Amino acid sequence: MLAKTKSYALNGVDGYEVAIEVDLNAGLPSYDTVGLADTAIKESKERVRSAIKNSLYTYPIRKITINLAPADTKKEGSHFDLAIALGILIANEEIESAVYKDFIILGELSLDGSLNHIRGVMPLIISAMQNGHKKFIIPSANAKEASYISGIEVYAFGKLAEAVKFLTGESCPEPLKTSEFVSVRSSNKYNVDFSEVKGQFVAKRALEIAVAGGHNVLMIGPPGAGKTMMAKCVPTIMPDMTFEEAIEVTKIHSVAGILDSSVGIVVNRPFRTPHHTATIPALMGGGANAKPGEISLAHNGVLFLDEMPEYQRRTLETLRQPLEDGVAVVSRSKHTLEYPARFMLVASMNPCPCGNLGSTTQECKCSPSEIHRYISKLSGPLLDRIDLQIEVDGISFDEFRSVQLNESSSAVKERVEKARGVQRERYKGSATKTNDEMSNAQVREYCRLDAEGEKLLKTAFTRLNLTARAGNRVLKVARTIADLDGSVNILPTHIAEAIQYRSLDRKYWD
Amino acid sequence: MNYDNNVKALIMLSLTEGYGARRKRYDSVDRACELYDDYSVADAMIGKMENAGVKVVTILDDAYPQKLRDIYDPPFTLYYKGDVGLLNESDSVAVVGTRKVSAYGKNIMSNFVPVFVKAGLTVISGLARGVDSIGHRICLENGGKTVAVVANGIDQCYPPENSELQNKISEQGLLISEYPLGVKPLQYHFPERNRIISALSRGVFIPEAGDRSGSLITADCAIEQGRDLFVVPGSIFSAQSVGCNKKIRDLQATITLSPQDVLDEMGLSCSKPHKRALQLDFNQQSVMNALGGESVHISELMVRSGMNTAQLSSVLTQLEIIGLIRKRQGNYYEAVPEL
Repeated sequence: MLAKTKSYALNGVDGYEVAIEVDLNAGLPSYDTVGLADTAIKESKERVRSAIKNSLYTYPIRKITINLAPADTKKEGSHFDLAIALGILIANEEIESAVYKDFIILGELSLDGSLNHIRGVMPLIISAMQNGHKKFIIPSANAKEASYISGIEVYAFGKLAEAVKFLTGESCPEPLKTSEFVSVRSSNKYNVDFSEVKGQFVAKRALEIAVAGGHNVLMIGPPGAGKTMMAKCVPTIMPDMTFEEAIEVTKIHSVAGILDSSVGIVVNRPFRTPHHTATIPALMGGGANAKPGEISLAHNGVLFLDEMPEYQRRTLETLRQPLEDGVAVVSRSKHTLEYPARFMLVASMNPCPCGNLGSTTQECKCSPSEIHRYISKLSGPLLDRIDLQIEVDGISFDEFRSVQLNESSSAVKERVEKARGVQRERYKGSATKTNDEMSNAQVREYCRLDAEGEKLLKTAFTRLNLTARAGNRVLKVARTIADLDGSVNILPTHIAEAIQYRSLDRKYWD
Repeated sequence: MNYDNNVKALIMLSLTEGYGARRKRYDSVDRACELYDDYSVADAMIGKMENAGVKVVTILDDAYPQKLRDIYDPPFTLYYKGDVGLLNESDSVAVVGTRKVSAYGKNIMSNFVPVFVKAGLTVISGLARGVDSIGHRICLENGGKTVAVVANGIDQCYPPENSELQNKISEQGLLISEYPLGVKPLQYHFPERNRIISALSRGVFIPEAGDRSGSLITADCAIEQGRDLFVVPGSIFSAQSVGCNKKIRDLQATITLSPQDVLDEMGLSCSKPHKRALQLDFNQQSVMNALGGESVHISELMVRSGMNTAQLSSVLTQLEIIGLIRKRQGNYYEAVPEL
């Protein structure tokens, strides 16, 4: 007899329906999977047989043929197990009711018949939902993740037998209750806070501006200056993620298999720190399973590149496209995947390989050519996408008295959210969300200067040796400073401050 | 262009290996001219030079500068590209020094070189990293004349990152070398080249030089050739000032505290810029007061001026643009003294 169950497969973060056809034929007992299944699916043979046997159902001693349709697309993963097992039981007439036809079935089987956690439940369910599917069966280990999606009926089971009993009508469990996102969000916690960073007022102010305008930042300073610490604080001053943003992030993390299944949704903005030995696939996404890379995992959060010139130049150059488009494109031999990758880039570097260039207390031991080589790792086009370049100084705060109290992250965040609000209002109806994303036309429209401002900018270029490409960048940053200030117009003081944050343009190392 | 056989002989001599030592052996030019019978090698080189737009002036020519003829070991050939008239410019100063310039050295350069240019001095240097390239660059930026004496054939470029600067100098100034096209910058070329730098100038100015800096060879050449030597004193703890300070200790150089010191010695003058008559606003004035005469970290400035980071950053940029203060590495600021 023939049975047909439905499951879903992923292509990036988008899914497509996979029909699982099980046919039992007369002939020598065997088990064949067709439809371009990968090893994990082919191995389901053993898991399915043991799970059925250990759940006290009868495994048919027949020639079993399983087809995964569409048959010409490569399928990966172990989450078809449950759909296959149920298909066999239906074909063997252990399950007679036709309820199963409405369900998308997802789940990996254990030999003892229990259901294991799988990757990508959130994106699978969301894309199935968009295609009109309403009812799902998933492992209970993934229940939390699925519970944030409303408008669907999800049943989570811990064992194969429970799923069978549900489909035969022997038991009727309740579908999952929808979890409230807002309640989890209020409980979000970062384990760092801006108030723990002592001194470094310039850097802190620059980070505030960067977050407020969605600008990328490069911090230059000697080792031990606190660059990493400050970078870790960046997510704490970013506005809370909206539900839509959280879902976007959760989908990616779910595909990558790094989602915390006890929470089921990503609440905190991601902070990713790939090591400088990271390969291009690790950063951009790819590899055997075309998993999302670090830049996609940092979507809606922060990608922190510590010691930026230590990365391979080729690796750094691949960042250019995603920084522009907000999308990571992963090309495989058969098809191309897209993962969202709209992140804020926070990078750090030493002023020279030994780190002591310009220090008042220590001598720099690098030769000019070493320094030149170190800096030339960062290409012009890449630096073009980094609006703020700031110096972080290596002196300990103890040397200075302070009048300014160290603000907590929440105080800074409040100002940031206000500035973001101004930007939302301004860019209503256009694709631009933050000042950083302004097009040239928008810069001309929204960054108009008065005569005094024009003059200041012009003299700044000649007097301070600013390079030509600093122009638009300064304007965008000045726009953000004005937004933080609550000013409609960009005042000369705003431009003056923005110029302070262009260390590299000022021929820092000449 | 047609060159006579004597010039061709000198070109061939310059093509031989160990040219410097051989040149000394043929102390008279006339003997050197009698060395060769076959000039085909020289003809090939002349062809190459024409393609590259390079010309040569030899010690036999009238255009050859007298001040170079007078030294102990004058170069027989000078391959050049650019304004050859600059060779005979009498008001010229050599600006040489360390390859690893500190912030202090950069400050000296940006204060001195523009004044030199304004006073009409031609700036001569060696296109090396550090002081040399900064000197050329500032000179060109201020519309001055500059001569680069390099230690390799002038179709080569060393250091490679200066190729753009080298082109600019050959267009707007003069690029010369004793060595024919194709010669690599060998180690022993540099001291040989230094004698030409000092010989072409009336005085040698060294803003910063380390203990074993090549610019000290230029300094010694200058003393030997009877040129003035100007050095700027530096901190006794700074590795980049050891060379300069030692010259001062050994009473070999004029201590130079302002560009005017150099001009006075040469009998030149430069109209002083108008005394600053600036109207500073309240915030700008309070930052200037807070700075005093030292270099101050921005956190300390915040305390002293009572401003927050945003205000202070903005005021600092304004003052920088006016030219009253300057930023140093590590978020330090200092007032620019009037020299």
